[in-house]
Amino acid sequence: MTETVTLHIDGVSYEVPAGMNLVDAARVYAGVEIPVFCYHPKLEPVGMCRMCLVDIGFEMRDRESGELLLNEDGTPQIRWGRKLETACTTTVRAGMHVRTMTEPVQEARKDVLEFLLSSHPLDCPICDKGGECPLQSLTMRHGPATSRMVLEDKMHLAKHVPLGDLIYLDRERCIQCARCIRFQDEIVGDDVLAFHERGRRLQIVTISDPPFDTYFSGNTTDICPVGALTTADFRFGARPWELQDVPSICPHCPVGCNIVASTRLDRDAGGVKVIKRILPRQNEAVNEIWICDKGRFGHHHSLSPDRLAAPLIRKNGELVEASWDEAIQAAAEGLQAAGKNVGVIAGPMLSNEDLWGLRELAEGLGSKRLGLWPASLGDAKPLDEVGVASGTNFAALGKGDAVLVIATDLEEEAPIWYLRVKQAADRGAALIVANTRTTKLDHYAAQTLRFAVGGAADVLNGLTAAAIGQKWIAEDLIESRVSGFGDLQKALKNVSGGDEDAAEVLARAENLVIVAGNDGLDAEGHTALLQAAANFLIVTGHVGRAHNGLLPVWPGANTQGALDLGYESADTRRMLSRTPRALLVAGADIAADPAGAKALQKADFVVCMTLFPDATAEAADVVLPIQSTTERDGTFTNAERRVQRFYTAHGPLGESLSAWEAAALLGQHFGLPAPRYNPALVMKAIAAAVKPYADISFPALTAAEVQMPPIGEAKGFYGGTARPPIGGTGIQLPARSEGRGKLHVKPVDAPGAFEVGEDELLVVPVRRLYDRTPEFASSKLMHDRIPQPFVALNEADAARLGVASGDTVEVSADGAAVTVTAVVDDYAPQGVAFLPLRLSADPFPMIPVTGTVTRVAEALPVGD
Amino acid sequence: MNVIRGFATTLKHLFMEPVTYQYPEEERPFRDRYKGRHVLKRYDNGLEKCIGCALCAAACPADAIWVEAAENTDEERYSPGERYAKTYEINMLRCIFCGYCADACPTEAIVLEHEHRLSFTNRRDAIYTKTELLEPPPEGMPGTPRQVEPGTFDRAIPEMEDPK
Repeated sequence: MTETVTLHIDGVSYEVPAGMNLVDAARVYAGVEIPVFCYHPKLEPVGMCRMCLVDIGFEMRDRESGELLLNEDGTPQIRWGRKLETACTTTVRAGMHVRTMTEPVQEARKDVLEFLLSSHPLDCPICDKGGECPLQSLTMRHGPATSRMVLEDKMHLAKHVPLGDLIYLDRERCIQCARCIRFQDEIVGDDVLAFHERGRRLQIVTISDPPFDTYFSGNTTDICPVGALTTADFRFGARPWELQDVPSICPHCPVGCNIVASTRLDRDAGGVKVIKRILPRQNEAVNEIWICDKGRFGHHHSLSPDRLAAPLIRKNGELVEASWDEAIQAAAEGLQAAGKNVGVIAGPMLSNEDLWGLRELAEGLGSKRLGLWPASLGDAKPLDEVGVASGTNFAALGKGDAVLVIATDLEEEAPIWYLRVKQAADRGAALIVANTRTTKLDHYAAQTLRFAVGGAADVLNGLTAAAIGQKWIAEDLIESRVSGFGDLQKALKNVSGGDEDAAEVLARAENLVIVAGNDGLDAEGHTALLQAAANFLIVTGHVGRAHNGLLPVWPGANTQGALDLGYESADTRRMLSRTPRALLVAGADIAADPAGAKALQKADFVVCMTLFPDATAEAADVVLPIQSTTERDGTFTNAERRVQRFYTAHGPLGESLSAWEAAALLGQHFGLPAPRYNPALVMKAIAAAVKPYADISFPALTAAEVQMPPIGEAKGFYGGTARPPIGGTGIQLPARSEGRGKLHVKPVDAPGAFEVGEDELLVVPVRRLYDRTPEFASSKLMHDRIPQPFVALNEADAARLGVASGDTVEVSADGAAVTVTAVVDDYAPQGVAFLPLRLSADPFPMIPVTGTVTRVAEALPVGD
Repeated sequence: MNVIRGFATTLKHLFMEPVTYQYPEEERPFRDRYKGRHVLKRYDNGLEKCIGCALCAAACPADAIWVEAAENTDEERYSPGERYAKTYEINMLRCIFCGYCADACPTEAIVLEHEHRLSFTNRRDAIYTKTELLEPPPEGMPGTPRQVEPGTFDRAIPEMEDPK
């Protein structure tokens, strides 16, 4: 336990941790709200706004004896400060007395507010922040009723300054608290905002090109204590008091950020509820109070006019609209014809309930083929054992701890983890980044390791060999619980070249989290990487306790849930090579991969459950419209195995149904019971059948952990517009290593780096945060932020191929070809071309393949 | 005697001017503060006063008002400043004519005027839309939306003066 001291606030004493910030201590322990503008519990205090002035005094002691000096009535004598002090730059010490309600303090607050308002436009009626604005509420509570300033003397500044495409700045409303600048500098580390000019002309400018170039810009609007920063997405969408906040989970990446969907009826949408904005919901264990711009602005898929609103069936070769009855009938007949030769391929945006419904259907049909999309994922078995232990929180990592980020560009694949890993590194945790190329996280790394494409597992094997060689291993654990250590030791005997510095830092760290992606890996390489990471963690004893373990960077929000419920990427691969007679593809655009497209052609009958009429739907015989996250209740399991619940925010689009319901309707034709009444009952069935989920139920998931500091609470909005943990903070499933059972290590047969011939190019697909999948590209606002399709080439390769930067080139491999713009620099290693996935609609393999790059057209000359 | 007094009263009233108004041929003058049907006002230059802030809807005890706002541009300007009311509806069956909306309005855009002859044959007709509520532009002034010189109407709230 940390040391506590006695703090006296307004004559009442409280026990608070020593060294705590006074504003936080007063709020959390005493319930006393010291008003603040520039202070934010997540940022370093700067004392710029002077709103938190309080009277601070200390108990007097006799200089010689150290005895407390007492008044006649026995109370201690207090030496009050001669002037008021800013509470936000003060930490709590023993014998501290604070007065927050005396006349000078109230007078000071009044004066500060009068000063802040001296140039404020007071256009609260049209301000998006009006109604949830700290400046507004603190003025009502502490401010003067009138101003003594000369109104004609107000500064008039630009009111409509776009900071990039997503954020608008109103320079008149800005009170120069620098929260936005400090957020970008301290938390994100993107140097995009700065102060310009001096004095009353001081203003926020963006100093990056393109302007405000960061994935986290939306958070500045949350923490802005006035209406200076507002989002282009919400702009005048509603007044805050008219909105209904529905807790939800972001469906875009494996982090599983807690969000709320603020909904309101909308005349343009036909008088139905629509999502007006997405705000973060505080969950200190997952996303703290931050979300990325993809989650915040990428919600428009839920009511996109491009979505499929009614079932389609193929009649005379054409897909035509049909009723659910007809479509289910047609689907059932098609599946019937295939007999047991049926396979299911499910995407990672489906909820656990959907996946269970599909599994029940598949089992009812007599099939055991449950495929997970994408097909490039490795065997996730080691994760059951060494996945991050429950209670793991990046926020707890600091000095003495270590994080290894391998084979992933974290900023592009899981932005909030990027932000949290970066902060852990700032706090002193040793960050080691291993990848085939530079990523933004390298900047914060204590050490970066490079490996050839495909060689991720070799890096970890090397580290394990070094750790075993130097005896940086957990001998007690190995002796008592680990099986297979002898084999591993033998297999690693001849492995050398592991980076000993890195191995020492990682192996001897107090806590170690390995964040492993599948960037530049095929399934075999990914399988090897996960097992190698598990070996290292077990051998060095970093399993089974909080803040330790393996964290996989899955491609989707519920990939983990799908794995837990029996879906496997390997099954998909088997289905792609030996296609079953009938395929049921749900929430997965498998036509984006040539192998998937081929399987769709080979299968006699394809049922597609989808949000959008994508290429997979076009190849299907029956297309069933399913619902997105915000249209129904359900659960996702994030990559930390935290089961989190989302709630119905608005009505369904068109006739769409939940995938589990659609599956159950289909199942009725095969003698399965009628659809369950609601998803809670589906979860009940999951809990009964799947062991790790035994304690999960919808009511249990509504429980919310106490959040510290309590930023989301509405009172005063001191931390901005992040919402409190309404709707529950989720339940983390324990890893098997937390029990007493055996831990398994086994030698990894690493496939090694891909071999590339002299004149060949290895085309490596990489994931980008902003892509053109309909789930994201349906948010029109983001279009300018999505990069044009490009391929990154090495200078040497480009010279050999006669390609210059900006040329249009055709990248082809495995019979698939995409036309993209070439970017030539030293980013890609020689012999490798990085091709971002899903930036264009053309299908392309999702694993590294050898291919060719040919010039199609020269770059357009840059006009002057 | 009493009988005669009674008849005298009747007789006297026969020659007095009647107090009855022959409505609808004849209408009684309204008090200035009579609260009839709402009107959305315009400035003298023809721009709408309403900025779509929805404070009227917030103040309304009968939940009769529905406002949706959108953004002005200089090419298509409805009101001064950045924001205007894209949708403005009042359900007259709900309205209790309390006038709180007019009190809440920061630009004095909504005023309860003297129109009182409200009749509708179904519930949908009772919802007055912005076109019905908005007063016509002043004589000789263009209506809204209109194109304006950039930078001329960038403030939503009328300029404040120093307290005298």
